Amino acid sequence: MSPRREKLTSPQTRIALARGNRPAQHLLPLPGPVDTEAARRLFRTQRRVAVRTVALLSLLLFGMSGAFAALPVLGKVRLWDVPVSWLLLTVAVYPLLFALALWHVRSAERVEDRASPRRRAAGGRER
Amino acid sequence: MISVLAIGLVLVTSLVIGVYGVRAARSTSDFLVASRRISPNWNAMAIAGEYLSAASVLGLSGLVLKNGLGTMWYAVGFTAGYVAVVALVAGPMRRSGAYTVPDFAEYRLGAPRLRKLCGCVVLVIMLLYLVPQFKGAGVVLSLVSGTPYWVGVLLAGLVVSGSIAAGGMRSATYVQAFHYVVKLAFLAIPAIYLMVHSSPDTRTQALHPEWDTRFPERTSVEFTVGTRFTLEEPVRVTTPGGGEVELGAGEHTVAEGTEYAFPEGAAIPSPVGLPELGSERWSTPLLNVGGHPLFETWSTLLAITLGCMGLPHVIMRFHTSPTARTARRVAVGVIALLGLFYLFPTVYGLLGRVLTPQLVLLQGTDTVAVVLPAQAVPGSVGTVLTALVAAGAFGAFLSTSSGLLLALAGGLSHDLFQGSVPRLRLAVAVGACVAVLLALPAQMTDINVLVVWAFTVAASTFCPLLVLGIWWRRLTLPGAAWGLIVGAVTATGAVGWSILLPTPAGWATVLLAQPAAWTIPLAFATMIVVSRVTRPPDWAEHAVLRLHSP
Repeated sequence: MSPRREKLTSPQTRIALARGNRPAQHLLPLPGPVDTEAARRLFRTQRRVAVRTVALLSLLLFGMSGAFAALPVLGKVRLWDVPVSWLLLTVAVYPLLFALALWHVRSAERVEDRASPRRRAAGGRER
Repeated sequence: MISVLAIGLVLVTSLVIGVYGVRAARSTSDFLVASRRISPNWNAMAIAGEYLSAASVLGLSGLVLKNGLGTMWYAVGFTAGYVAVVALVAGPMRRSGAYTVPDFAEYRLGAPRLRKLCGCVVLVIMLLYLVPQFKGAGVVLSLVSGTPYWVGVLLAGLVVSGSIAAGGMRSATYVQAFHYVVKLAFLAIPAIYLMVHSSPDTRTQALHPEWDTRFPERTSVEFTVGTRFTLEEPVRVTTPGGGEVELGAGEHTVAEGTEYAFPEGAAIPSPVGLPELGSERWSTPLLNVGGHPLFETWSTLLAITLGCMGLPHVIMRFHTSPTARTARRVAVGVIALLGLFYLFPTVYGLLGRVLTPQLVLLQGTDTVAVVLPAQAVPGSVGTVLTALVAAGAFGAFLSTSSGLLLALAGGLSHDLFQGSVPRLRLAVAVGACVAVLLALPAQMTDINVLVVWAFTVAASTFCPLLVLGIWWRRLTLPGAAWGLIVGAVTATGAVGWSILLPTPAGWATVLLAQPAAWTIPLAFATMIVVSRVTRPPDWAEHAVLRLHSP
């Protein structure tokens, strides 16, 4: 049937296996960025976007659980005969998480789009 | 019988898809090209299919019944974990070219010994995650076929190692995507049916836990384990011999094997240490096992949300996307699929409190999703619904544990012993044996307790390694190594202590049972402090910047 089954390994694993026990000097050849300054700027912007998303995520999770603890009334008020706190926890939270992730992806991609033409203009050649 | 058939059908279909997929992809490049041509939607479904384990399909509804609504924070954490993955690791991980966490450690810090250390941590996490899967499979199999628990676990071990050996999991993507559909449909259809067809009375009772929980009919309860429980009011129970026993209000201890029939309308006795069904503590949506609800909820949320990105089999799936951008988008799709799935476990928990409250007494709440349909809808429809849920649960077990077992075996043979394919097979067998042996004494431990343990270890080890490795230029080899050791030892030790040994009273119990709130900061701090006093190599900045350049 099928000829030979080949083993799949990641590039890093292949290098590690080929190296055996000799000490590692280099990994995958690392091309230095064409424009280190631009790459640093991009890194810092992306880090800012990531921190913003993680902060909003913590606010959502810790804020909602904190609200349940601080406002027992959320368990008394009912919407369609279901306590509001139950609705928030079992239904409403998922669209919020999805929207947050979607927003992060949009922002991160916009940052990348803005960085690429600038880099090409600054470096003048392809990576 | 029909349940066994349904489970068999899921198994056979997975094998057929797997074998067909293996024939289609013959060489390495075939496989890689194929995996990168897969549309993001299929890929997201495959990831969700692998991720939704027995903890989600069985464990959640069981814990809602037993501990209350706060349980659904687990589901929120499982989903929020992917938001953290999208924000912090998905894109950079894809660009690093690393398939596994040990690979990434090697790329970023360039040290084979760290690779071995990571390999050890992978083993710990994967074993902790595998044991509850086997437990779930054992419970379901013994429930539908009537065999003892240990036969179910043993059978599950054989089925999973057998299907891996037959190559059934090789074309993982389509099999896993198929399993997502199986899990969603087989949990959602019975849930919707039960919601629509249960009597208005049952529905209202389910939504009003402040009304007493009582036995809905004369219920015979056979205690398979010795249990201590308290009674609010005296009750007259019947023994199998026909005699009547008067149980007074207060605490009672029953021995293993005792059988009591409770009359219709009797109040449900609550086992010692558990919240009374339907009480304030039960219906407040916070995790509250040890009496510090906010701390428990936050610590668990930290463990699950951050642990998700450290799970080896989650990370592995991102290289199947062609670019970093697609990897991020796939992760967003996973969030949507998980959110859809997690709408349903609550239904079983809420209806279970009304219709099958005796499961709490039997310490068998993990089975509620399978037991409930037959109980709620007598006759053939109930049997079919039960078969659906059982098959869905088995699909959950099959896909997750195959993925876990392969990751475990890969860790054993590549990262620790640098083996070949025959040794990979051996590693699968060894891994399955160890997991089965560990699952045998775990019958009484909740699936989710064990799963959260695995997440806690991942969050205290690989999460700091990945986050700092990707976003901080100054992380050094000694820093990473010390952080991993400290995180692994404290997280594994704390939860292990709280499950296996008696714990000191008060806050210490909570801190040991929910250690994420201190082990994660401790691991981060160790990495940062040790890295500060050592010097990163010159190429470290390039390694980091490359992870972020489009």
